Order: sequence, then structure tokens, then C-alpha cells
Amino acid sequence: MNKEQFLSQLKRSLSGVPETEKKDILYDYEEHFRSGMENDQKEEEIARSLGKPRVLGKSYRIESLLDESRGGRRTANVLRAVFASLSLGFFNVIITVPVFAGLLAGLISLWAGAVSLAMTGVAVILAIILQPLLPAFITLGGLSIPFLIFVSIGISALGLLSLIGMWKLSQWFFKITAKYVQFNLRIIKKQEAKA
Amino acid sequence: MNVQFKKGVLELCVLVVLCRRDYYGYELVHTISENIDIAEGTIYPLLRRLTKEGYFTTYLRESEEGPSRKYYQITEKGQTYKEDLLQEWSHFVSSVNNLIQEEEVA
Repeated sequence: MNKEQFLSQLKRSLSGVPETEKKDILYDYEEHFRSGMENDQKEEEIARSLGKPRVLGKSYRIESLLDESRGGRRTANVLRAVFASLSLGFFNVIITVPVFAGLLAGLISLWAGAVSLAMTGVAVILAIILQPLLPAFITLGGLSIPFLIFVSIGISALGLLSLIGMWKLSQWFFKITAKYVQFNLRIIKKQEAKA
Repeated sequence: MNVQFKKGVLELCVLVVLCRRDYYGYELVHTISENIDIAEGTIYPLLRRLTKEGYFTTYLRESEEGPSRKYYQITEKGQTYKEDLLQEWSHFVSSVNNLIQEEEVA
């Protein structure tokens, strides 16, 4: 393998690593080849002692994923790390993906519940305010206004509380997911080291 | 030798070598591979990680041959980390030696 083949294989196996980082990594090996050739080493000889570019690329990819799942608690980062690690082929696709998708779906439906609860409260308040203006469209169903005000405040408060609860729950969910991804990456790192 | 073990030791070697003076990549890799048999390319991911963790800084300097080279310089944090690892290492080696000697006596 010559310099060009080595670098292009390495570049290919760095897919998913941020562009600026990729450039930096390739630069290190270019410099290594350059210095080696200044010391009268042959390209093939240098490439051989560097090792397999695919193995090197994989260890950079794992490192970069670990960074990503650590650095950002941001949802997008966590989700990206989950999918990127699928491409590394160590997540048990049959078990992990359905469980993760199920939990995510559950989370989304709980959010929908919380949002609609809060909106119901707001809607009742609006109905009370707008009823005298639009008697043709809105009826209060014969219920007294003080009772409705009481109910609407109750529902709104409950909605708000569940929204706050959902926010906390989601944060927790993504934190756990990030931890799980990191845990898997560490296992893979160990397996890589043995290979 | 066990690869995982070797990798841990490699980290210590890089730190120890860079405590002497600043090295550029190729030079550092050579110094280490002269003594330890390892795929030379694996030192670069290690250097990158340790730099990210704040144990090294890097700077570019022109070489006599022309193009500039990336030099690695150990930070204070790196020196402290090296001392910790070194202590762990000496402790480990003397424990192993103790065991071996006990074995010989018995």
C-alpha cells in the first residue's frame, strides 16, 4: 500500500467524523509520511508500520462518537449518536431499536397528553371570556361562571405541572440514552483493542 | 503481550517521552516504536485524545527541510497525570516482582 492508498482508505473509514476533525486527522498522517520520506523510508514501508487504516479509522470514529454523546445533552446529538453507533454494528438491532422506539413513542404520547390538558384549561377560559360576545357559537352548558373559572384554573395548573414533569422526564430519558450509548461504545472499544 | 495492557502502558510512555522536550509526531512515534512493538498509527489517536483532554498542546514550527511540523508540548495537567500514572505503574511492577520472588522462595 502506498501513501495515497493509505490516506484514501483512512479517509473513507472516517465517515461520520466532523469535517474539520477529519482534515486534522489526515494531516497528522500526511505529515508522518512526509517526515518518513525525508528519513529515506519508502511509502510502503511507512504504511506497513502504521498499521491498518480501517482499524485506525474505527478508533477515531468511536472517539468522536464518545465526544458527541458526552459533549451535548442536546437531543439532536444524542439521537445522532444513537444512529451513528448503529452503523458501527454493535447495538443489538433486534432488541435495542424496538425498545428505544417504543420508549420514544411513549414519551411523545405523554407529551401530547400534557399539551392537550394545558390547552383544555386555556380553552375553557377563552370560552368564558368570549361567550358574551359570541353567544351563537359558544354555550356554557348551563354551568355557572364561577364554577367554570374554578375548573379552568384547575385544569390549566394541572396541564402546566404535567408539562414541567414531561420536560424533566425527557431530559432524564436523553441522559440515560447518552449513558447507554457511551456504555456500548466502551465495550466496542475494548473489543477493538483485542482485535 | 495483551493489547489492552499495552495500550495503557503506551499512554504512560507518550507522557514520559514528552516530559523530556517537545516532539513532532513522526519523531515521537519513532522514539516509542524503537522500544515497544506496536502499530505506529495507533499513537496518533492517543495523542489526539490526550490533547483533547488537555494534557498536551500543539503548535506548528517550520522545519529545516521546508514544511512546518506539528509539535506536541505537555501541559501542567499532563505532568500531574504522568506522575499519577507513574506511581500506579511502579506500584504495579513492585507488586508483580514481590509475587515472583515469593514464588522463587517457595
